Amino acid sequence: MSNANDELAVQHFVDYLRIKTVQPLPDYEKAFEFLQSYAMELDLNYQKIQVGIDRHVAILTWLSTNNSQQQQTLLLNSHIDVVPVFEEHWKYSPFGGEIVDGRIYGRGAQDMKCVGIQYLEAIRRLKLANYKPNRTVHCLFVPDEEIGGLTGMNKFIEMDEFKQLNVGFTLDEGK
Amino acid sequence: STPSWWWTKFKQACDNINIKINTTVFPAATDSRFLRNNGYPALGFSPMNNTPILLHDHDEYLHQDVFLQGIKIYCEIIVSIII
Repeated sequence: MSNANDELAVQHFVDYLRIKTVQPLPDYEKAFEFLQSYAMELDLNYQKIQVGIDRHVAILTWLSTNNSQQQQTLLLNSHIDVVPVFEEHWKYSPFGGEIVDGRIYGRGAQDMKCVGIQYLEAIRRLKLANYKPNRTVHCLFVPDEEIGGLTGMNKFIEMDEFKQLNVGFTLDEGK
Repeated sequence: STPSWWWTKFKQACDNINIKINTTVFPAATDSRFLRNNGYPALGFSPMNNTPILLHDHDEYLHQDVFLQGIKIYCEIIVSIII
């Protein structure tokens, strides 16, 4: 790897893969601790909002320098949870964060812990390059997508806290 | 019809860094369906080319070079949309 920012990005990815946010009993609290400290490191605003019993979302926000309240925001969405594993079929531990021949192994490496970290590491680089956003960027981390989202995004989107984000456009996982 | 501002900017970012986009109708299975149902435009996009699809499979991995390239792709897309 070429530089310190690349090493930092991979380390954060590995740290996130090691948190067992695996259905049906995801360790969400550990993920929120991780995200809160990430927000502090990147100097982003952090909110943790309750959407149901034992269910929360985290929002890490890079505020626009443009004071216009009308300017709609960019929402970068990812889910925290991952599907279960049959550990005996894995060559490497699904929650070990091992890197072998450049391959970063782990449940969530593709779906979709990679994307959550890539959003934040992109923001780190843009801040380092001194970009000043004209739109606010919200990185949203939601629970329970893998069990249908009814106790996660489906709840949050009905709440005033979501409406206040003033979202204009969103990105979410693809393939 | 006239493309929306967000599609124009997203496409421009991809063109800037020469990444080819195959657009498909997204299966109505992820959280973006809640966003769209409530009127928020959403694109499903994960920057994972040259990668076997191992979502929900064992030995799920992402090569670190693909992961790092993805950060650069998001830098381009985010800048295009917010600057």
